[in-house]
Amino acid sequence: MIRFENVTKVYDQTTRPALDSVNLEIDRGEFAFLVGASGSGKSTFLRLVLKEDRATSGAVYVAGQNVANISSWRVPRLRRGIGVVFQDFRLLPQKNVFANVAFAMQVIGKSRSIIRDTVPEVLKTVGLEGKEHRMPHELSGGEQQRVAIARAVVNRPGILLADEPTGNLDPTTSMGIMGVLDKINQNGTTVVMATHDDDIVNEMRKRVVELRNGVVIRDEARALYTSMIPVVGQSRRLKDASGRPDNPEEDPGDGSFPSQTGEAL
Amino acid sequence: MRLAFILSEIGSGLRRNLSMVVSVILVTFVSLTFVGAAGMLQLQINQMKGYWYDKVQVAIFLCGEGSTAAGCATGSATPEQQENLRTLLESPAVAQYINDFQFESKDDAYKHFKEQFSNSPIVDSVTPDQLPASFRINMKDPEKYQIISETFSSQPGVETVIDQRQVLERLFSVMNAASLVAVIIAGVMIVCAILLIATTIRLSAFSRRRETGIMRLVGASKIVIQLPFVLEGVIAAVIGAALASGTLWAVAHFFLGEYMSKQYPDTPFISPAQTLILIPALIGLGATLAGISSLLTLRRYLRV
Repeated sequence: MIRFENVTKVYDQTTRPALDSVNLEIDRGEFAFLVGASGSGKSTFLRLVLKEDRATSGAVYVAGQNVANISSWRVPRLRRGIGVVFQDFRLLPQKNVFANVAFAMQVIGKSRSIIRDTVPEVLKTVGLEGKEHRMPHELSGGEQQRVAIARAVVNRPGILLADEPTGNLDPTTSMGIMGVLDKINQNGTTVVMATHDDDIVNEMRKRVVELRNGVVIRDEARALYTSMIPVVGQSRRLKDASGRPDNPEEDPGDGSFPSQTGEAL
Repeated sequence: MRLAFILSEIGSGLRRNLSMVVSVILVTFVSLTFVGAAGMLQLQINQMKGYWYDKVQVAIFLCGEGSTAAGCATGSATPEQQENLRTLLESPAVAQYINDFQFESKDDAYKHFKEQFSNSPIVDSVTPDQLPASFRINMKDPEKYQIISETFSSQPGVETVIDQRQVLERLFSVMNAASLVAVIIAGVMIVCAILLIATTIRLSAFSRRRETGIMRLVGASKIVIQLPFVLEGVIAAVIGAALASGTLWAVAHFFLGEYMSKQYPDTPFISPAQTLILIPALIGLGATLAGISSLLTLRRYLRV
């Protein structure tokens, strides 16, 4: 479903590449965690799949198609096949739950009757029945993220990309979200989730791809987060009972992304 | 469905940005009014040319009592000199340029003068002797005036040869200058309008960046994302153009039609109906300006 062949992405010639000769294949229907410290290249990976950025070298295949060969006017079609969920939910504050999910269908021209049928169904899948008319500010963080997931999957994409979807949520709520993502995955959608959250990774026991400084250093099926890598940010907040030492030398990318760490704290 | 969605997006965009939209409307209104004013002046010039050029004549004035021109050394033009001129006008060399001509005697001239200035006290102080007799020539091609002038101005008994067109040309050059000024002002205002539309679209795109970001992610096409912004600018500009068109029509109807035509009943003013041909041009110009400037702005500020 997603295949990276020797992909390198350089944002700025003077710094190290964000991704460095990455080879990776994620099959249809798979659930994969992308782990690694901030700045390790997780977000870049997701951006390349969406063709938000162009790979400096190498080829990115999505659903069998080299994204470099997709002309700009057909990029929307590529993106219709990919749902995306973010740490900060990105709901439209002036629209209610139903309208937020329906928005994703309206803008690609789905008819009103299809929208009326599909949206309640999807809201049921993510566990938000009966909350169609709530506004985003009336919902908890976990519920807001469920709305965002509903919006991402309402057009039945083959791939769901989740960029730290549990980053703003407490551990119990996070597990609820994981349940939703797992359910979507069992319906046949390929799920790629970038995360720092070791509890979740350890609990789910799915495939784990670990990036460090833009290089894949580990790719294991049914794996653990492993505690070899010191993780700063929200994972430490959740796990600080274990009292791991903070080792900035092993985590050079972290300082360059203060906003992400800041949001988590 | 998609159309309804785009329309609702436009509506919310216009509401959210109301003050900017109003300023776009006003600026396009003012700039297009100047464009239209220049257009109206040109229409008026054409109208007057068409009306007067058929009527204007080349006049050969004969010497009178007190004439001081070189050809008038013998005093007032004699009947022989008058006959010579008539023969010359009928000779093939000259006749080929002429449609017809009339002789206007001093008495005829006095009669015309009285008609023309019937309301003025000057009529009482003028006698037929003070007015020169003349040949009035209708040219086949008014541009050939020079030939007549060269042939006749040196003839004995001729005081001067006058092309009435030249009097009108002076008026037209004033009107042309006025329309040039209107075009220059319009140009400056159009630059303002373009910049203001660009700023408005930029603000609009910024205030809706959440929506457009999500639209991008879920795979909305470029048209669905950009069209509401472009149409927002175009709608504002078209409203401005419509206001400008209404203003021009009102000027033609009330100012020219009701006021000026009573003051100057002899002058052919353009009718309000004639200004209607300017309206599609103004609306087209407004829509094009807005469309182009918003597309260029979106290319920079709304990544798709």
